[in-house]
Amino acid sequence: MKPDLGVGVGLRVPHYAAILRERPSVDFFEVISENFMVDGGKPLYHLDRVLEHYPVVQHGVSLGIAGPDEPDRAYLTRLKELTKRTKTPWVSDHFCWSGAGGAHLHDLLPIPYTPEAVRRTVERARMIQDFLELPFALENTSSYLTYRSSTLSEWEFISEIAERADIGLLFDVNNVYVSAYNHGFDAETFIRSVPHSRIWQIHLAGHTNLGKYIIDTHRGSVIDAVLELYRQTIVLTGGVSTLIEWDDEIPELSVLLAEAERARRVRDEALALREGRALPPAVTSVPAPVAASDAAVWRQGGPRESAAGEAIR
Amino acid sequence: MTAALSELQRQMATALRHPGSLGKHAEWSQFAEEHVSGNQRLSPAEQLEIYREQFWLRHTGSLVEDFPGLGGILGQADWEKLAEQYLREVPPDSYTLRDLGSHLPELIERASWLPHQALCLDMARLELAYIEVFDARDTPPLAPERLASIPEESFGGARLVIAPSVRLLQLRYPVADLRRKLRADSDPAVAIPDESPLQLVVYRRELGLWDMPVGVVAFAFLSGLAAGKPLGAAAEIAANTPEAESELAQQIGAWLGEWTTKGLVCDVLVD
Repeated sequence: MKPDLGVGVGLRVPHYAAILRERPSVDFFEVISENFMVDGGKPLYHLDRVLEHYPVVQHGVSLGIAGPDEPDRAYLTRLKELTKRTKTPWVSDHFCWSGAGGAHLHDLLPIPYTPEAVRRTVERARMIQDFLELPFALENTSSYLTYRSSTLSEWEFISEIAERADIGLLFDVNNVYVSAYNHGFDAETFIRSVPHSRIWQIHLAGHTNLGKYIIDTHRGSVIDAVLELYRQTIVLTGGVSTLIEWDDEIPELSVLLAEAERARRVRDEALALREGRALPPAVTSVPAPVAASDAAVWRQGGPRESAAGEAIR
Repeated sequence: MTAALSELQRQMATALRHPGSLGKHAEWSQFAEEHVSGNQRLSPAEQLEIYREQFWLRHTGSLVEDFPGLGGILGQADWEKLAEQYLREVPPDSYTLRDLGSHLPELIERASWLPHQALCLDMARLELAYIEVFDARDTPPLAPERLASIPEESFGGARLVIAPSVRLLQLRYPVADLRRKLRADSDPAVAIPDESPLQLVVYRRELGLWDMPVGVVAFAFLSGLAAGKPLGAAAEIAANTPEAESELAQQIGAWLGEWTTKGLVCDVLVD
């Protein structure tokens, strides 16, 4: 178990000014590591200002741990440098691959759930954890395809890697819901089957249901059905640091913080249930699908702070 | 078996970078049938296509964001054609989308089909400079007293260190002004400027991005300093005509003062 930081939100560019001006009550922020693996300028300036007032955890999107190429040492070195700045209690990335032959596709591509992929990922996860000298966790992804070659379920795959590599799980409950919908498995079985003591952090987010499949857009509120899965997860894990991700059509900070409070209430209820106290009945309504034209590109971490937004003087 | 996994991933990475729908391509449809399960709602090719489409949306979107001036010159159709050619010929090779357009000027030099090719090249170089300067390493500005304290006999051999957040651009077109107009004006019919060569310094000051046109002699002098030459040698390169020599003699103090104040100079090294 890792320290329970409470309920936090993803640090996103549109909120910088409000956060630094108002210093809202937030238990912790999560940053996308790659957005701050730069030499200087505004990104690190803003990060440092946030670090003066809040705990920050690092979450990466570009490691591509299970790809055909060995992890990039230069990338890992920069990542480690950033951990010294943020003092993050752990570092996370995803169960995925992201490119091949030097090409980086900037996506969280699904892995075939095979013993070969387990061996490769275990070996690299151990190496990375040793190299970073910090606890290392991997997150289950939302996926939109499955492979004919898979011989394990997703929960068997991630559990075996976590146990054999002795790493943590960043458990994304929304991703469980999305992949269960897309691939027709039972989300509750997934939640019951993973090693709960290895869940160091939880992600919650909105998604976009296109009918034939759901995209993990991190857009909108967390739906009630996902919150119910979150409640079940917390009953099994106890208090675990929980984070709201909102990366598309990013709302005012107050809306995001209200979403965090919504998660906190569910978490408190689940912890009460875990202690044997009575609970109100769960609400599990599921919104209707939207038109395919409403689909958005998925982009972890929202917009990066860049020169594009600058007024050149 | 690891080789089989790697080979699957290499082929899939190639498929996802394919510019057209995979379902309409026999080879990739076959690949999808062999490796992807599909389900009752989506065929194997349709499942793979979700990722392919996202690759193109994500990367073209990132280029549009980073190069608004280039997009403004080209208009949507030519910009999409250029972005597609770029992503096909120069696969993204960095872990960060921040670097996605770093080879765009090289492609534009080869893309002879481009309307306003030379103007596009200048705009891409300028917008790339903004990207690089935006998050370059921070350096405290040099205190003017340090410059003033260089002993006269050491002045020629002193080296001024130009800040990492400075880029020097020799341009054929006034693209910085054009970019400002394109971004400020909702009317897409901003006039394409005539050729009008200039030297531009792009730099960062108090976290903001700035650009500053400078004359030919000042640019040559600053370029010499940026290349690590001592003050005397940089001045010699810049003073390559009698007129230039005269301008340099009159202006060098003012230039150094201005560049130091603006944070272009971050250190001075005296042997």
